[in-house]
Amino acid sequence: MDTSGDNDSNSGEDQTSLFNENISDDLLEFATVKDPTSLTFSISGEDHTLGNALRYVITLKIRLSIRSRSPEVEYCGYSIPHPSEDKLNIRIQTTENTTAIEAMRKGLEDLKTICDHIKETFIRSNRLFDIQQ
Amino acid sequence: MNRDSYQGPQGPPPLSGPQSAATPRASDNAPKMLYNCADCGTENEIKPKEPLRCKECGHRIMYKQRTKRMVQFEAR
Amino acid sequence: MSKRNSKSQGNAERLEQLRTRVMIEREGVESISSSEFPYHSSNRHQDIDYIKEFIKKFSVKIIRKEQYDMEFDLIGVDAAIANALRRIMIAEVPTMAIEKVYIYNNTSIVQDEVLAHRLGLIPIKADPDRFYFKQANESPTDMNTIVFKIEHECTFSPKAREDETDPQKLYIGHNLLSESLTWIPKGDQEEQYASCPIRPVHHDILIAQMRPGQKIKIEAHCEKGIGKDHAKWSPVATASYRLMPEIILKKEITGDLADKFAACFTKGVVEVEDSYVEGQFIKCAKVVNPRIDMVSREVLRHKEFEDIVQLTRIRDHFIFNVESTGIMDSEKIFLDSVHILQAKCKRLLAALDHKLREQERDREQMDIY
Repeated sequence: MDTSGDNDSNSGEDQTSLFNENISDDLLEFATVKDPTSLTFSISGEDHTLGNALRYVITLKIRLSIRSRSPEVEYCGYSIPHPSEDKLNIRIQTTENTTAIEAMRKGLEDLKTICDHIKETFIRSNRLFDIQQ
Repeated sequence: MNRDSYQGPQGPPPLSGPQSAATPRASDNAPKMLYNCADCGTENEIKPKEPLRCKECGHRIMYKQRTKRMVQFEAR
Repeated sequence: MSKRNSKSQGNAERLEQLRTRVMIEREGVESISSSEFPYHSSNRHQDIDYIKEFIKKFSVKIIRKEQYDMEFDLIGVDAAIANALRRIMIAEVPTMAIEKVYIYNNTSIVQDEVLAHRLGLIPIKADPDRFYFKQANESPTDMNTIVFKIEHECTFSPKAREDETDPQKLYIGHNLLSESLTWIPKGDQEEQYASCPIRPVHHDILIAQMRPGQKIKIEAHCEKGIGKDHAKWSPVATASYRLMPEIILKKEITGDLADKFAACFTKGVVEVEDSYVEGQFIKCAKVVNPRIDMVSREVLRHKEFEDIVQLTRIRDHFIFNVESTGIMDSEKIFLDSVHILQAKCKRLLAALDHKLREQERDREQMDIY
């Protein structure tokens, strides 16, 4: 099997392109509020798989002190309001220095980076294993 | 009890006149109603009002054949 | 002073252990949840870029690999990520499976709906990447549907002896197997898949048992789907992880006790070796392969081992086992799962931007009025 990375990148990509046109509109919802530091994001069609992973990545940015510089999250948690509803809620509260939307964006980007690294490392180890066999 | 002496419920007496004469022609075009004998498995064609009896073994229990129509299912 | 130092050192060691290990105690498991969060155990501000830290620490080790079954370690990753990947492998990596069954004739004793259900569960060897998901309003095309046909009839074997009782000799075609599914190429599928004709993964799956005179005539349509929708689309037989077990010996275990100690673990975990001490050979227990231990905790039931042994599991060392149904290679299933998690992020980022633009537009409209 070819694991060169660029070749088998289609399955995930295909899905993105497939979903983008039709679902994008109501995939993600959040209210416009006065206070931009606390928001609940409502994501349809997702469950614990993304919920917990995203919660974990965003929680890594927890900062209690207002003095600290970089990403500042005070609280991040997720819930699935009802099992029969295909919906995921992620609550983010941040310090004054940033917004919940920024924290969300940073979280998603971090998760993406993590995926990239897992993929690269796996492919490298896999190739090494093949050579050694 | 003697099975052969048993008479099942009878339908109304056959109609006479043009309607009756038309019946065989209509059934010529209609798909044949085939039944399988429960005893010997022979295919029997049974027309309306005909006695229910296998032409091979005389058995009186028949199984109706499955519809020829396609049936759709979800594989779940 | 020195006593105090060693105590604080012991405390630090204990803290480090609680941070990185799941403790297996006699009556249960402790220190389960990850504590790798800022301010979890110290109020001091640590300027750590956790993502950079992850990239530095993370490693993958392939332990065993066959085409459809592999074992590998993900080291230095949180359960949230490992679990997401495991869940995606089971429920969100797409495959092709029979979804619609058109029954023209079925005089076997297997009911139509049961037959359709059984057909659905047969793994179909077809590369899902080369097909699209069929949307509900779409009609079948060669890009989203694979067609199979079964025409089968059971008859008496003319060669059978009069008094034969073995159904194998008495009948012909009394077992309807998955090999009877014949692929009907549509469009340019014939040329497209010339090198890897589409077929059931296994040729000997029993679909129905029949008797002479019974017939089955079926057309079956395969569609692309995911395990979340129905388990028949799951590409894995199992995809699971466990944490790496660790057996810590605080003191040497020698003599007959060593044999007793070794017997507490899965075979091959602890070996009893002869070591030369003070002019004579004595038996000595040595942990050689904690990986294969089932962590039965048997050792903790014995008083004599109580303070000598500590069982733990390494919290960020995941031993993955991915066994494919035979549709895809195991390694590809894992790589697909990573892609899909990444695709989710990309989709959400796009949706976030989209939503923000929309809100911006609404605000401008409000300003106009």
